[in-house]
Amino acid sequence: MGVDWNSFLEGFTTAMSFQNLIFIIIGGLLGTVVGMLPGLGPATAVAVLIPITFGMDSTSALILLGAIYYGAMYGGSRSSILINTPGDGSAIAATFDGYPMTRKGQAGQALTLSTLASLVGGFVAIIGFVFLAKPLASFALQFGPAEYFFLLVFTLSAVVSLSKGNMIKGFVSMVLGLLITTIGVDSQSGVYRYTFDIPHLSEGIDFLVVIIGIYAVGEVLYNILLINNEDQRIKDDVGRSWITKEQWTRSFWPMVRQAPVGFLVGILPGAGGSIASMISYSTEQQLSKKSDEFGKGAPEGVAAPESSNNAAAVGAFIPLLTMGIPGSGTTAVILGALIMLGLQPGPMLFQDQPDVAWTFINSLFIGNIVLVIMNILLIGFLIKILKTPPHVLYPIILVLAFIGTYTLGYSIIDFFILVIFGIIGLFMKILNIPTAPLILAVIIGHQMEQNYRMASVSYDGLWAMITASPIAILFAVLTVASIFLPALFNRLSRVKVDNKG
Amino acid sequence: MEIIRFIVPSIILLISVIYLILTFNLPESKVGNPTAAMNYPLLIGFSLLGLSILYILSEIKDRKKIFEAYKIFSDRELTIKVIIVLVLCLGYTFIFERIGFLISTILFLGALLFLINGRRKWLMNIIVTILFSFISWYTFAELLSVSLP
Repeated sequence: MGVDWNSFLEGFTTAMSFQNLIFIIIGGLLGTVVGMLPGLGPATAVAVLIPITFGMDSTSALILLGAIYYGAMYGGSRSSILINTPGDGSAIAATFDGYPMTRKGQAGQALTLSTLASLVGGFVAIIGFVFLAKPLASFALQFGPAEYFFLLVFTLSAVVSLSKGNMIKGFVSMVLGLLITTIGVDSQSGVYRYTFDIPHLSEGIDFLVVIIGIYAVGEVLYNILLINNEDQRIKDDVGRSWITKEQWTRSFWPMVRQAPVGFLVGILPGAGGSIASMISYSTEQQLSKKSDEFGKGAPEGVAAPESSNNAAAVGAFIPLLTMGIPGSGTTAVILGALIMLGLQPGPMLFQDQPDVAWTFINSLFIGNIVLVIMNILLIGFLIKILKTPPHVLYPIILVLAFIGTYTLGYSIIDFFILVIFGIIGLFMKILNIPTAPLILAVIIGHQMEQNYRMASVSYDGLWAMITASPIAILFAVLTVASIFLPALFNRLSRVKVDNKG
Repeated sequence: MEIIRFIVPSIILLISVIYLILTFNLPESKVGNPTAAMNYPLLIGFSLLGLSILYILSEIKDRKKIFEAYKIFSDRELTIKVIIVLVLCLGYTFIFERIGFLISTILFLGALLFLINGRRKWLMNIIVTILFSFISWYTFAELLSVSLP
C-alpha cells in the first residue's frame, strides 16, 4: 500500500519535459479561453478540443486534456467574477461574492484571490490523490462483474439524484443514454441491433459525437437564443491585483480547510465541484464572524468555494483513473477522450501503465502553478479575450465541432448524428433535463451491459447478483439510498419550513 | 392546460414503444443463449416506458403551473437564426465531401458569421473566416496528418 515513489518521480520528470510543459501552457490557455465564454464550461472545452490531441502520444494527449480541463475551470471563475456568468455549475458560487467585489472595483483582487484559492485547493487535493490513488486501485482490483455492474448503477443513480432538476427527468436522460449504447452489432452474439441497415451504425454511435453534439452544438444553439441578453459590459480597469493583508488573513484558513472538503466531495460520484463549492461557501458563511458580509463581496466568500471546487476537480480524477468511473459530465468527457486515445482507466492503469498515471498527476500539479502564473501575469490579456464578442466565437466553436466529429470517423453520417444531438441538447437545456446522466450513460453503457451479461451468466438472477459479495451489496444499498435519500431530505426540510412557517 | 408541455414526454414515450417493438423483433442469437442480445435492451426499454409515463404524470400534476420553457423561442428573430444555423449545418454536411474541406468551411463559417455577427462587421467576418479556415486546415491536414476531403 502507499505511494509508488519511483513512478511518481519518473512521472514528474516526464511532465516537466519541454514538450509537455508547452502542452500544459497551450492547454491551460485554450481551456481558459473556452471556459471564459459565458455559458460554456470545462465539458465543452474538452469536447471541442479533443481533436487537437490526434496524433499525439497518449501521455502528452492526457496532459493536454488535463490542462484544458483545468484551464476551463480557471476561465469559468473569470467570467463568474467579471460578468456574473458562470461557465458551469462549479463556478456558480464564485459569483456570490466575486461579482460584488467586481462591482466594488475590486475585480483584480477577486481574481487574484480566486487564483490563489484554486492553487491551494488543487495542491491539497493532489497530495490527497497521491496517497489515495494506489490503495483505491488495489481495492478495485477485487471487483468482479457483479460488483462493477452495481458500482456503475450506483454512479449513474448518484449523478441523477445530485444533478439539478427533477429526478424523473434525470433518469429519463440516463436511460436514453443507455439506449443509445445498445445501437450497433452486439459484440457477443453478433446480432445487429437498431442499425436500420445503415452500415455506419453497425459500429454504434460514437459517444464523442454525442458529447460534442450536446456540449458544443447544443450549448452554442442555446446561447444564440440568448445572445441579446448580454448586457454585462466588462470594464477595462479591474483595479489593483495585489490583495490586502486583511483579505489574505480572512481568506487563508477558509481556503486551506475547504480544500479537503472539496477533495472528498469530488471523489464521490455525482457530487463534483458544484456541490463541493456550495457546501464550502455555506459552511464558511456559518463559521465567519462577518457572515453578514457574505454576498456583498466578502473575500472568504470567493476563496472558500474556489479552493473547494478545484480540489473537487482533482478528487474526481480518483474514481476516474482508479476505477474507470467518471463522477460528472466533464470527467465523463475526459474518460471518453482517454478511451479514444487507447487508454483504459481502471485499476489496471496503475499496474500496467503507472508512468502514464503518475505523469498525469504531476502534470496537474505543474498545470496548477502554470495557470496561476498565467492568470496573474496575463490578467489584462485574458480580459481582452473575454471582450472578444461571443458572436465570433460561437460560430468558430460550431465549425470546430464539425471538424472534430469528422476526424473521429471520417463519415458524413456523423454530421447528421451531431446535429440531431445538438438539437436534443438544446431541448434538454430548455426543458431543464440534466445532460450529465445521458453523457455518463453513453460512455459507460457498453461496459455496463457487458458486466451485466457476464454477471448474469455467473449468478442466477438479479438477487444472486446483488448478494454476490459484501461490495456488491454495499453498492446496491448505496444505489437505493442515492435514489431515496434526497427525496427524504427534501420532505424533511419542507416539514421543517412548514413548522417554522 | 398547455398541451405543449406534453410534447417532449410524449416523444419519449413513443421512442420507448418503438424501441421495445424493435427489441422484440431482434433476431435470435445463433450462439449461446438465443435471447442474450435482447435481455438488456428489454430492461432499458421497459425502464424508459415507465419513466416516460411518470414524466407525463408529473406534467399532469404540474398542469396548473405556468409552463415557460418554450418562452425562449418568443424572440422570433433569434429563433429564425437558430433554424438558419441548423439549415447551414445540414448544408455544410452536403457540401463537405463534395467540394472539399477548405472551400466548404469558408462558406459555412462565413455564412455563420454574417448571420450571427451581423453584416455590418463584414471585414472582421471575412478576416476571421479566412484565417480560421486556413489555420484549421493547416493544423489538421499538415500538423496532425488528418486526411480531410
